[in-house]
Amino acid sequence: MLSLAGERAHPEIIENIKKEMGIDKGFIRQYAGYLKLLMHGNFGTSYYTNRDVLKDIAAKFPNTLALAFVATLIAVPAGVTLGFIAAYRKDGLIDKCVNAVSLAGLSIPVFWSAIMIMLLLSLKLKLFPPSGTGDIRFLVLPALALAIPAAATLARITRTTVADILKMPYINTAKAKGLSSLSISSVHVLKNAIIPIVTIIGLDFGSYLNGAVVTETIFGWDGLGRFTMEGIIKRDYPVILGCIITGTAVFVLVNLITDIAYHYLDPRIRLHAKDR
Amino acid sequence: MLFSCSPSNRLDGYVYYRLNANPTTLDPALITDVSGASIAAKLFNGLVKLNDDLEIVPDIAEKWEVSKDGLRYRFYIKKGVSFINGREVKAQDFKYAFERVLNPKTKSPNTWVFDKVEGAKEFQKRITREVKGFKVIDGYTFEIKLKRPFSPFLSMLTMTPAYVIPKEDIDKGTGPFILKKWLHNRELILERNEKYLGGNVKVKGIVYKIIPEDLTAVTEFELGNLDVISLPASAYSKFKKDKHWSSRIISMKGLNTYYLGMNSSRPPFDNANLRKAVSYAIDRKKILETFYENRGRPAQGPVPDLLRKWKIRERGQGSRVNGQGENENLVINYDSLKAKEIIKREGMSGIKAKMYVTADQDVVDLAEIIQSYLLSAGIAVDIKQLEWSAYKDAINKGEADMFWLSWWADYPDAENFLFPLFHSSNFGSAGNRTRYANKEADFLIEQGQNALNEKDRNRFYRKAEEIIIKESPWVSFWHRTDFLVTQPWIRGYKVYPIYTMDKGMDVRIER
Repeated sequence: MLSLAGERAHPEIIENIKKEMGIDKGFIRQYAGYLKLLMHGNFGTSYYTNRDVLKDIAAKFPNTLALAFVATLIAVPAGVTLGFIAAYRKDGLIDKCVNAVSLAGLSIPVFWSAIMIMLLLSLKLKLFPPSGTGDIRFLVLPALALAIPAAATLARITRTTVADILKMPYINTAKAKGLSSLSISSVHVLKNAIIPIVTIIGLDFGSYLNGAVVTETIFGWDGLGRFTMEGIIKRDYPVILGCIITGTAVFVLVNLITDIAYHYLDPRIRLHAKDR
Repeated sequence: MLFSCSPSNRLDGYVYYRLNANPTTLDPALITDVSGASIAAKLFNGLVKLNDDLEIVPDIAEKWEVSKDGLRYRFYIKKGVSFINGREVKAQDFKYAFERVLNPKTKSPNTWVFDKVEGAKEFQKRITREVKGFKVIDGYTFEIKLKRPFSPFLSMLTMTPAYVIPKEDIDKGTGPFILKKWLHNRELILERNEKYLGGNVKVKGIVYKIIPEDLTAVTEFELGNLDVISLPASAYSKFKKDKHWSSRIISMKGLNTYYLGMNSSRPPFDNANLRKAVSYAIDRKKILETFYENRGRPAQGPVPDLLRKWKIRERGQGSRVNGQGENENLVINYDSLKAKEIIKREGMSGIKAKMYVTADQDVVDLAEIIQSYLLSAGIAVDIKQLEWSAYKDAINKGEADMFWLSWWADYPDAENFLFPLFHSSNFGSAGNRTRYANKEADFLIEQGQNALNEKDRNRFYRKAEEIIIKESPWVSFWHRTDFLVTQPWIRGYKVYPIYTMDKGMDVRIER
């Protein structure tokens, strides 16, 4: 309240603002008022900038989407490939290396890896600009920072799943049939391993879309995460509410898409009303 | 190089600065943040401004007269000054701009700047339709009448809310620069105002890059994408040791005071002697030299060194020897024995206190240092960390026994470090968070505000500060000095103790 009216505001001005914002009314009425706004597709306006919250979110969402996309594009091939290799060489040297690397990737906090990525690829090698919002050049570093822990998780999940599948009798059958190892891994192994992998991708993608606060802040990427964070710091409630509602909706949507994907990827999950 | 990123995609002839946050607004009436104010200073002008020596000099007003009773300020406005929409600035525009700040519809957080003006209250309560104290004498003469003499008033007119704007186009200023583009959360581009009469701007424009993270800004600077940055504490020693940069570091003495506040309204710190013992118990000089890497000047009292026109009395310097306190030494240096002695004498050994701090790591580190000093003096301090808004809220309500905070000047006047912070009418968010109340200090501060000449004014302020130092509601630690570093191609860049003083006129680029 005071940050809005200024530290030296007269009590009358504070009362005025309270009245205009409707916070002199009871909680139920405030809540009803907000729901009514929402029904009209209105997220309200920021307390501080007076800008339309929905418009700001709409402007930042494509940036966050692009970042999530590129991060996933890096994480999935890297993580799945590493996991596959480790599973095929289970308990060997490569497996141990992959294990160590993925453990490191999971344990290193993003704020540290992000800074290291910036110092190396930007300051030392001058490959990419360190910060800013713009074309693909600006996207690579934050996407990489986001992709590292995701790739690590994927590598570990893929390794465990694939290693289990390789022990299955049907793999032996396939080998006995004389199928090439390429066709075994692409048809029999990958198809059976895909469900947990897709689950992880869906979860990660969903969380990226809720904004990667630290990554976006360090690399100055104008996304939803930074916007949410600024709202929280300033106690700009319409912004916070708007971001949370958007984030929740997006998360639910991504999970729904993942669930639908299961249906296509694994015939065993197909739900038929008739069968019940 | 795969993608060349610098400095080829810089705008030629533009100087690149960093902002750590998107300015909330550039409307002069509404600005409260540093980002917004430092940009607005380049887009707008007021009646008066500050020169390098913190003196008040003409801006749009070519001269002014103050009536003998200190109530009427008459400003003579320069002819031929125009807004960027081409219209000439007249006295009426100041009336409009100032009334707009006070107008409840504007919801300005800066109304306090004009609340000493006659009729301001009535206008704010919508009793009158205009402010009686803002008088347009003729097209080029504007008069302000105050309710009572208020010596810092001219200083306050250098602040952003006192900038002039045209009624028809409230975002068009008169300043040396014009806002060309504002990409929310990314960058702002200012272009030179070719028609500006107030002097010669030497760059084509200014680009402000919004970079929230300090380390990212340092990287951008090292790559040559930024021309000037303020050095974060973490990068200071690195640049200082680097031969290439060390000669390009400029220091900026800030008008601020960092202090440990003690809640003087309730036990245990309602005891002035105990508060004084706390001041003796902490080796502030050592903390400044080691922990704070000398990035500040030691504080002798709440008023910053640059604003204090008097000396703090040391032992034996008192002019008269009539009163008991007249000869007292007011320079407080570290003296742990004395601290223990006072605590023992007051019978207060073994007391406990809660110290509130924000959750920033450097503040927490400092709090632990203070904690250990106080423990050896016999005060057990419990540190409580809070997130910034919750912290502000708690100390505004007086919940903390002790707290760590700083005060930065709004306008360069000692009054700004006395009235809001120690006058008993300003408890809480208005500035007096220690809830310190002393009738004599109140009276002296008011006398200083009403004084009609500088000599009297400084005399009252000096006496008020002496009382405050004696009663120590604060342990004044230091006045922070910031360090900036500039690229080799930047010439003439000047630093100012107040961010609104930089109008962007000095800097130039020489490649």
